[in-house]
Amino acid sequence: MIRLAALAAMLALAACGGNDDQELVVFAASSLSGVAGKLDPGAEVALGGSKDLAAQIRDGAEAGVFLSASAKPLKELRAKGLVTTPAVFASNRLVIIVPAKNAAQVNHIVDLTRAGVKLVLGAEGVPIGDYARESLELAGLGAALDNVVSLEEDVKGVVSKVALGEADAGIVYATDVAAARDDVLSYPISDYFQPQIRYYAAIVSPGSAAAERYVDKLLGPEGRAALRAAGFIPVS
Amino acid sequence: MDTLELSVDHPLRSFRLSLELQLGRETLALVGPSGAGKSSVLRAIAGLLRLERGKIALGAATWFDSVAGVDLPPERRSVGLVFQEYALFPHLDVRRNVAFGGRERVDELLERFQIAHLAGARPGELSGGERQRVALARALARDPAVLLLDEPLSALDAHTRGVVRGELAELLAELRLPTLLVTHDFEDAAALAERVGVIVDGSILQLGGAAELLAAPADGFVASFTGANLLHGTARPGADGLTEVLLDAGGSAFSTDRAEGRVGLAVYPWEVGLARTEPVDSAVNHLRGEVSSLVMLGNRVRVRVGPLTAEVTAASAERLALAEGEPVVASFKATATRLVPIG
Amino acid sequence: MSRVFPVLLGAALLVAVAFLALPVIAIFLRVPPGDLLAQLGEERSREALLISLKTSLIAHAVILLVGTPAAYLLANRSFRGRRLVVSLLELPLVLPPAVAGLGLFAAFGRSGLLGGELSALGLELPFTQAAVVLAICFVASPFYLRSALTAFESIDPSLPAAARTLGAGPVRVFARVALPLALGGLGAGSTLAFARGLGEFGATIMFAGSLPGRTQTAPLAIYAAFDDDFDVALALGALLVVVSAALLLAVKLVPSWTRSSSASTTLFAPSASR
Repeated sequence: MIRLAALAAMLALAACGGNDDQELVVFAASSLSGVAGKLDPGAEVALGGSKDLAAQIRDGAEAGVFLSASAKPLKELRAKGLVTTPAVFASNRLVIIVPAKNAAQVNHIVDLTRAGVKLVLGAEGVPIGDYARESLELAGLGAALDNVVSLEEDVKGVVSKVALGEADAGIVYATDVAAARDDVLSYPISDYFQPQIRYYAAIVSPGSAAAERYVDKLLGPEGRAALRAAGFIPVS
Repeated sequence: MDTLELSVDHPLRSFRLSLELQLGRETLALVGPSGAGKSSVLRAIAGLLRLERGKIALGAATWFDSVAGVDLPPERRSVGLVFQEYALFPHLDVRRNVAFGGRERVDELLERFQIAHLAGARPGELSGGERQRVALARALARDPAVLLLDEPLSALDAHTRGVVRGELAELLAELRLPTLLVTHDFEDAAALAERVGVIVDGSILQLGGAAELLAAPADGFVASFTGANLLHGTARPGADGLTEVLLDAGGSAFSTDRAEGRVGLAVYPWEVGLARTEPVDSAVNHLRGEVSSLVMLGNRVRVRVGPLTAEVTAASAERLALAEGEPVVASFKATATRLVPIG
Repeated sequence: MSRVFPVLLGAALLVAVAFLALPVIAIFLRVPPGDLLAQLGEERSREALLISLKTSLIAHAVILLVGTPAAYLLANRSFRGRRLVVSLLELPLVLPPAVAGLGLFAAFGRSGLLGGELSALGLELPFTQAAVVLAICFVASPFYLRSALTAFESIDPSLPAAARTLGAGPVRVFARVALPLALGGLGAGSTLAFARGLGEFGATIMFAGSLPGRTQTAPLAIYAAFDDDFDVALALGALLVVVSAALLLAVKLVPSWTRSSSASTTLFAPSASR
């Protein structure tokens, strides 16, 4: 009897929790476009460059959860106490993408240093940009930076420039290739030259039960399955 | 000496412009109602309008020939065109306006037209009469072989008009250039031109001296255009060798002209006398009516009585104590009438 | 009601002015003047401003040199399809900048319509400063063309006609009559076009990309700085406003006779005695 009453009370409490009534807004890095919405169909997902999204949160945007493609965008937010302690939830790999026609004949990271190759990367502070530069450093191919023709604020920008056939090559996440499948070819980058990619999930203060549920799901088996299906590497 | 030869055959909006003219060292005025095609003739001569068919030549120089395929642009034709609204360049002062056509004669022209004191002024600052003089000076700066004037007096107020008309007549006499001027006012034409052509719906109805047009108008249009009263009626032979015209408006009038059938009876306002009673003379037509309007024009008075307009001296009007609504008899001699074709 | 009406008008004006002025004023209130000058010292900002000015000026020169005769021709000739041509020239006005960028790629990109021909000439446009100039030309020219067209169309036709009867050929008519009379409208359109070009973003970032020192114009630099260093973005923005305002002022101070001449170009050559 008492157990029933306790259960009823818990349900009642859960039902009239403050933020639960509002829809959850998830700010997610663009590369997570295939996954972010799956965990909570009712949630509103805003995709964008992690740097851009962090700036919006800093300026007071109403977000419940922030999924960033690297730790850097979270630094300022953490310092200002705008987010709770972030948790790592996934990793990714970098690949080289080239236009389907691959007129410049790029198929290896070394080719990126060849004179005349038009390379597009993410801008400074944008996770994909920082990771790409790290990768090139690891490969000792810093010279490739001389071939950069454009620095994009968002990984989607890199993909589109290559997909249009205007850039000869770009460095993006492996998970981005599927969406542009018809227009690009992708070539793997050796393990030795892969930076440590870490996706972080943080709850934007003040937290809400819906936000906590979302993050729990993300870290749990359902989340891991969804991430794997989209090509990410779940990490805990 | 160069004669301007003009033959035109060109469709305008609702009729065809079709005429031929020869112009020597004289001034010829084209008069007619607005829309008759007068300005189009000037524009064609200047090269601003390309005729469908025709020929324009000054002596041996052919400016336009639709058959031979010649069409000189305006800048290669030696014309001076004075526009109705003068078309002075608002961004240039008077001196630069006049100099636009040619720099050699600027000072001479500014002197001659008495606008030297306005040399630095902008067109916007000038009066109508002053603008007209600048426009003339400018057109002449190019030393044109032909002068074209489009309604030269229309943009002026009544007082300035009279003065300018006199000045312009003097100027034209002095210049002795083939000049074609266009106007809707017969009096202006008569004052300025040696020959007058009445043009209606694209064709010249009559061409001759002003006096000739007044004495023997070719038809109703010309008559009313030269200022005559025109009464419509049906003519038949009458007594005493006169022609009786049964007026549409009622009554009949007699004329010394011979005609039969539908006619217009033309009589000039200054041929119409006014009195309190009917004159006793069978050769005089009379019409009883009320004064419907009185207009003072200097020392003449224009009086409207029924369908007739009469012009009498101010003294006569005073003597008759004419006033609106007063009964009066208007009379005119049979010899003063002209019977002209109408319709 | 008649008492209230003027007050309502005044209120509307106040709201409009406040709304339009506030964001600009706010920028300057947040940036200490010292910071503005310091920003000029920053290489990135200086580079961005220089690229902006250089590309805008080149683009503007092209717009004026090509657009002026084009507008003149359009104003003076009527031909079949004229209205279509005018609409085409105005099209970039209603095109979202990103779409404009795509269009530029489709036309001038490597795999674009003219890609082959351009490559044969050794010209690869995307990601170059030339691409920035092209993007600016594309989005800014309609502003100039429209004003120029209106300015030339509103010239009293009897004036060029008079010029021709005075012996002026078509070139002299254009240079001595049409151009001076249209100058006011041309100047206004030019200012608008330049301002639009200076602030151009969408088509540029698509077609020319964004590379500091080469294609990163001031607006692009502001966008890049926006996320990590808001103050830099703010200072750069303020600098851009100052430069734009200075240019606007310079244009307005062009001798007033150009404007008074177009003001007096009413429908007819003046005839006050009517």
